[in-house]
Amino acid sequence: MKLSRRMKRTIFSWLVLSPLVVAVLFPFAVMFITAIKPATEVLQPTWWPSAPQWQNFITMWQATNFGAALWNSVYVAVLSTLLSLVVSIPAAYALSRFRFVGKGFVQQFLLVSQMLSPIVLVIGLFRLLVALKLLDSLNAVVFVYATFNIAFSVWMLQSYFSTIPKDLEEAAWMEGATPWQALRKVFLPLALPAMTVTAIFSFINAWNEFVIALTMLRNQGSYTLPIQVFSLVAGRYTVEWHHVMAAAFAATIPVAIVFAWLQRYLVRGLALGAVK
Amino acid sequence: MNRSIFTNPYVLIAPAFLLAAFIILWPLSQIGEISISNVNRFGQLKGFAGLENFAAVVGDPQFLAAAWRTVIWTLGIVAGTILLSVPVALVLNEDFHGRGIARIIVMLPWAVSLTMTAIVWRWALSGESGMLNSALKGLGLVDQNIQWLAAAGTAFPMQIAIGILVSIPFTTTIFLGGLSSIPDDLYEAARLEGASSWQIFFSITLPLLRPFINIAVVMNTIGVFNSFPIIWVTTQGGPANSTDILVTYLYKLGFSFGKLGEASALSLMMFALLLFFTIIYVRLAMRGERA
Repeated sequence: MKLSRRMKRTIFSWLVLSPLVVAVLFPFAVMFITAIKPATEVLQPTWWPSAPQWQNFITMWQATNFGAALWNSVYVAVLSTLLSLVVSIPAAYALSRFRFVGKGFVQQFLLVSQMLSPIVLVIGLFRLLVALKLLDSLNAVVFVYATFNIAFSVWMLQSYFSTIPKDLEEAAWMEGATPWQALRKVFLPLALPAMTVTAIFSFINAWNEFVIALTMLRNQGSYTLPIQVFSLVAGRYTVEWHHVMAAAFAATIPVAIVFAWLQRYLVRGLALGAVK
Repeated sequence: MNRSIFTNPYVLIAPAFLLAAFIILWPLSQIGEISISNVNRFGQLKGFAGLENFAAVVGDPQFLAAAWRTVIWTLGIVAGTILLSVPVALVLNEDFHGRGIARIIVMLPWAVSLTMTAIVWRWALSGESGMLNSALKGLGLVDQNIQWLAAAGTAFPMQIAIGILVSIPFTTTIFLGGLSSIPDDLYEAARLEGASSWQIFFSITLPLLRPFINIAVVMNTIGVFNSFPIIWVTTQGGPANSTDILVTYLYKLGFSFGKLGEASALSLMMFALLLFFTIIYVRLAMRGERA
């Protein structure tokens, strides 16, 4: 039998990738299989459950206080994404369209703020929230997440915006449109894909964030999903692993699906940003 | 030109800049102030302390151990990630059956929060009921359960391996962007000249990928240096602080030991180091721009 070139390449490629594929899928398998094990079998080191317990996902909802944490995560992720977009779009527009005194400084400031992770600033951020009496406030966390997303958002948006020709807005001005009309009718519709992609990455960042939430949210009522699930594991003698894994699975899969659908835009966006 | 707030760059930039300045510069100045003050565990400042806090941090053997571990942690993850991501990106850049699925699988760890990944691994690595042990036993690779997280000797390499696994997606993405920027006619010309695959890789692909590798090294170094959840969730720096890196040690100093002055001093030292990495990044990025 003679294999086509493409077939040979397929076999070779999957062979090269196979160890990585196994390593990537292993935690998903662990998560899923533990989630559907009966409570009595969780601690037995077998791979398969004797009978899959789909109702674990339902009992988990109550046992892990999943609903409240889900709502907190959605609230924080949606609002911080909107806030960071609302301030980043005009900034990215200005950086991609205008030359002005201080532009270099703004770009450097954004770059440094991108390099700073919240962990290095956590003591100062904690004091800031204490001083403002905003400890345990989801809204304060929204502001912190939005801020730490600005650098990335401006960077992504600016690299896309620079690919939209300036002539289009200028033509609209010639036709007698005000700058706002030109922006709204001409520029923003063209920039919509970039804004969507940026929004989704801001959302995922906020959805997954750990250190700030761990430090600032002290009361179980305000926990986001990562903190809620972590609190079921840390410092406990008995951990209900099937519930923890069911919760981790339910918190992970929706975001993973959206991400899988979007990752090719990311390849393009990051490539644009890196070579610009 | 029309006069409008929509054509005034300062007005457009002000909201982003003011928000970032308030939430980044104010805490930074606080950290600066605390780091040179005597401070009690409730955060009240009790006068000027000079460089005492810095001296206390540098003189602490735990700091030295955590700093050394951070070097291993960062070098291990960054080197491992780059070495694995180059072949992965090369494979994913070629056309083959199921490439779309392969790309999604390789990118998948990026979509999952580090916290959740670390929680799953904490469970998978558990000694008695962990599924890694049952998988390894099932394959006949080990015949006794390994207590992965009970000693730094096994826990820390595992944490580094997890770190590599979650860093590959970002790095591969950068490399794929780099590979797509290499013009096809270069490869065709090389093949016409009779170059072997190895020659093509070492004399065309690798040199042209160089700027992307540099950027990936610096960005991963910054990300890994700052990475907190993997270690905090799997071992919390334990047992007996034997898997602490600087970020987890910093968090303990500030929020478990109540040594706010030392924690702030350490923050500033780490900030200076990050600034240094950033300058390297800017240099590399600017060199790329001129070329």
